[in-house]
Parts: sequence; structure tokens; C-alpha cells
Amino acid sequence: MIRMAREIPLIMMKEIGYTYPNGTRALKNINLNIFTGELIGIMGRNGAGKTSLIRTLNGLIRPTSGNIYIKNENINSKSIATLSKIVGIIFQNPFHQLFANSVEEEINFSLRSLNLSKEEIQKRTDQTLLEFDLEKYRKRSPLNLSGGESKKLAAASIICRDPQILIFDEPTLGQDAKEIEFFINLINNERKKRKTIILITHNIEFAYEYIPRTILMTEGQIIADGSTKEVLNNEFLIGQTSLILPQICQFYLALQELGLQEINKISSKNDMTDYLRNLIKNKSSKI
Amino acid sequence: MSLEFLNAFKFMKKKSFLHNLDPRAKLLFSIVYTISALLFTQILPLFFIFLSLIPLILLGKIFRQWVKSIRGLSFLVLFIIILNTLFISLSFALAMILRIYIMVSAFSIFFLTVDPNDLALSLISMKLPYEFAFSFSLAFRFVPTIATEAQNILDAQQSRGYEMQKKGLINQIKNLFPLLIPLIISSIKRAFNVAEALESRAFGSRKDRTYYYTIKYSFKDFVFTLYLLVFLVFVIFIRVQFNSMPDFLMWSLPV
Repeated sequence: MIRMAREIPLIMMKEIGYTYPNGTRALKNINLNIFTGELIGIMGRNGAGKTSLIRTLNGLIRPTSGNIYIKNENINSKSIATLSKIVGIIFQNPFHQLFANSVEEEINFSLRSLNLSKEEIQKRTDQTLLEFDLEKYRKRSPLNLSGGESKKLAAASIICRDPQILIFDEPTLGQDAKEIEFFINLINNERKKRKTIILITHNIEFAYEYIPRTILMTEGQIIADGSTKEVLNNEFLIGQTSLILPQICQFYLALQELGLQEINKISSKNDMTDYLRNLIKNKSSKI
Repeated sequence: MSLEFLNAFKFMKKKSFLHNLDPRAKLLFSIVYTISALLFTQILPLFFIFLSLIPLILLGKIFRQWVKSIRGLSFLVLFIIILNTLFISLSFALAMILRIYIMVSAFSIFFLTVDPNDLALSLISMKLPYEFAFSFSLAFRFVPTIATEAQNILDAQQSRGYEMQKKGLINQIKNLFPLLIPLIISSIKRAFNVAEALESRAFGSRKDRTYYYTIKYSFKDFVFTLYLLVFLVFVIFIRVQFNSMPDFLMWSLPV
């Protein structure tokens, strides 16, 4: 993405620290800039501070030190209700938020706090149900939906509020291939609307394939922030977390061991298949 | 708003006089204080009973957690003040608040100082079937888990604009549904999961169980029990002879 030299970050975190009441230091001196329209992955082992970091963005927890600026405004004194209009967090467990009698009512509930007219609420609800392919479940209880559908509904109930920043906590966890595909399309659509998207994930293959920028965290600190391919190909950095190298990276390391030099050309699944196809073609032509 | 006050009922391993007492003695303590609180409707006797809890809380080194449990009652206290003042009197409202404080404190002290494993053992020693004792200690152990879950639910709802504080009593009650329904559903789901996990580990297949360690009523437990019985007899005596007690005990506010 081409960025203007003087572009002001949408989110600016300056020396953020957070200590839980029991004394656990969850975040230590975090400095981070995130720009409008970016898609960012936050990765790291469990307990690294990923969830604490995103919770500071809508005021669910207040940093014990440092300041957070969204759209150049300090958010420290802003209420959760105000911040939730700008920052939408979609949590891991959808059953933590589903309670209404019907899927339609669930979406309605999210929109009511935006002070919209009844007509507008209904219009947005209908639109969201269509967009998320939930129309067929309109009158069904959210508690009777499958795991994947309920995750979709939880996401719909946040996205219908049209927040500028979308944060997903483990969006691919427990999702089948079709559901992951739906989620990828959803992210692409939201990016077209210039939404800033932050994903917390342990799914390294997913991150490698779809996320351009990755932040790696360990023990409440950011240890790497850069292009996903650079960060996740770095054996030293990966060793600091509980992650493993992406399959493509493992593949070209194996090629390197075999003395094959074309490794720099391989950076995606397509490159890998093309490389193997050519290799087989060359071998068979030699025979 | 934080639901952290639920953690005020979470057992914390510490070395203190209260922690070292036998769980049965502490169960008796909770029962005795609950009965004592129910005996009176006047401010001063309840205030003295409440006061007698303070040294025990200090002995148990649980003052901070206890304060949290008391603070967590603010909404209920407000409710009691409004209803009782409107329909009876402010004095009665204050007495009822003290009564609630005594009962919550008695059980808060119990939960904060009794290890769930010891609780199961003490119930078994009271001839309760193992299945019941285990279920009870399991329920007890899940209190902090439910507290964490309640906080997660609150966070998830707040992330979509939910506001805990709303104007009007009806609105406030209605407003609890987005929290209570997911909490109840997830608790039921967890109960089923735990039951399946236990059954898959052949829970209850043998009746003749042996235990890794046993609990024993020691000298200090007998002394504490004696204190509780004397205390109970004393408050019952005061209650029975209340009309012949000094007038100041019946003191109430003019409104």
C-alpha cells in the first residue's frame, strides 16, 4: 500500500503499559502506529498480551501508563460506549454475546445504541442479514445456530454498526474451509471500504497467505513489526514465540538443504506449485 | 463496570488463623452468623454482630477481598434502601442492609478461606455421599470461572454499545438480560461437558473410595466451635429477652 509521507496514523499507541490488579504486567512499553485501511495480524504465544492490547483500544481496559490516540484524539477519557462506535471487537467465543430471541433481534440490539431511526435500524438489519447470508435464519434463535453460523452472526452484529476499526480475536478458530473462505471475502469487502482491520491469530498459514503486516508479541512486548513474510520467515523471531515456521518457509529451507538455489522466488503457495511443476517438467524432459 | 467483585468469593491459599481452621468449623461459623443476622430487625444488635466479624476478617488476612465483596453489593443496597424507606422506614432499611452485609460476609469469609478439596472431604466426613460432596465442591470451584466468564460477556456486550447503567428500575432489570442469558447458557453447557468428562473417566464406578489425605478436628477447631456455640446461645438469649434489654439496643432513626 502506498502511503503519504505525512499521513497521520489512525491509531497511535505511545509507551502503553498495563498491569492487572493482581500485579501481572500484561503490556510493557508498547509503541505502535496503525494506518487507515491497513490489515494487521497480531501473533504470539498465549499470555503474550495480544488480547490485553486490543482491549485497550475500546476502553475495556485502561492503560496504566502511556496514551492511545485514535484519529489524533486521546481516548483515555472516552467511554466504552463512545469508543465502540469507532472500534468493533469481535471476540473469540460468539456465545458470550448472543442472547436475543431471534437472529434479527440480535442485530437490532447492536444497532439500537447508535440512536438511529426505527426505519434505519430495520434497513441496516435487513442489509446485514443479506450480506452475511443469515436471511434464512432471521426468525431462528441464535442459540440454535451451528458454531460457524454463530460466529458469523457475532461478526455481523458488530460490523452492522459500521465501526472504522475492526478487530477479530481468533476468527479462523474452529471454522471449516468454507467458513474461512467467507471470512476472507468479508475482510476483502471491508478493506474496500477503507476499514482498518486487526486480527489476532495463531493460524500461521492463514497469516502468511493473507495478512500483509504482522506484529509479534511476547511477554507483553512487541518483538517484531513488519511485513508478514519477513517476520514469519525469521527463525530467530519465531523461536521466541510458540509458533512454527510457515510450511512454505519450511519447504524452501528443505530445498536449501538439498542445495537448490531458487528459494528466493518462492513466497506463496502458487510459487511453490509452479516451482514443483517446473521441477517435475524439467526432470521428465531429461528422461 | 467490573464484575471483579465475584472474585471476592475465590479461595486464596494463605497462612492465617482462619485458613488453618477445619472447613466444618468455618461452615458452622457461616451458619451461626446467618442465624444471628436473621434473629434481629433492629440496627444496633445487627451492628454489633457485624462488628464482631471484623477481628475474624483481620485474622484471616482477607480484608481487601472482603471489602470488594461488600462493595459489589452497592446495587442491591440501593434497592433495599429505596424499597424499605418507601414502604417501611429508613431504620428498617439500614437494619436490612446490615443483615445482608453479615450474611454475605459470613459466606465470603467461608469461600475465601476454604480450599474446595477440603470442603469435599469435610462433607464426606459428615456422612454425605461422595457424589454430592464432589458436586458441591465442583460448584464451589467454578465460582471464579463463572466470574471470569461474566466479565468476558460484559466485555463482548460493551463492544457493541451495551451500557450497564440505564435510567429507571425496569430498564435496569431488562438490561441484565444480555448478561444473564449468555451466562446461564454457557454454565449449562459447561455442566454437561463436565458431566460427560467425569463419566468418561468412570466417575462413581467404585463405592469404596480411599483418600489421599484426611482432615482432623484439632484443638483450635474445638475452641473456635465453642466460641461459636457460646455466641449463638448469647444472641438467642438476647433475642428472647429483648424486651427486658436496655433501651439503647432498640434505638432507631426518627424516620
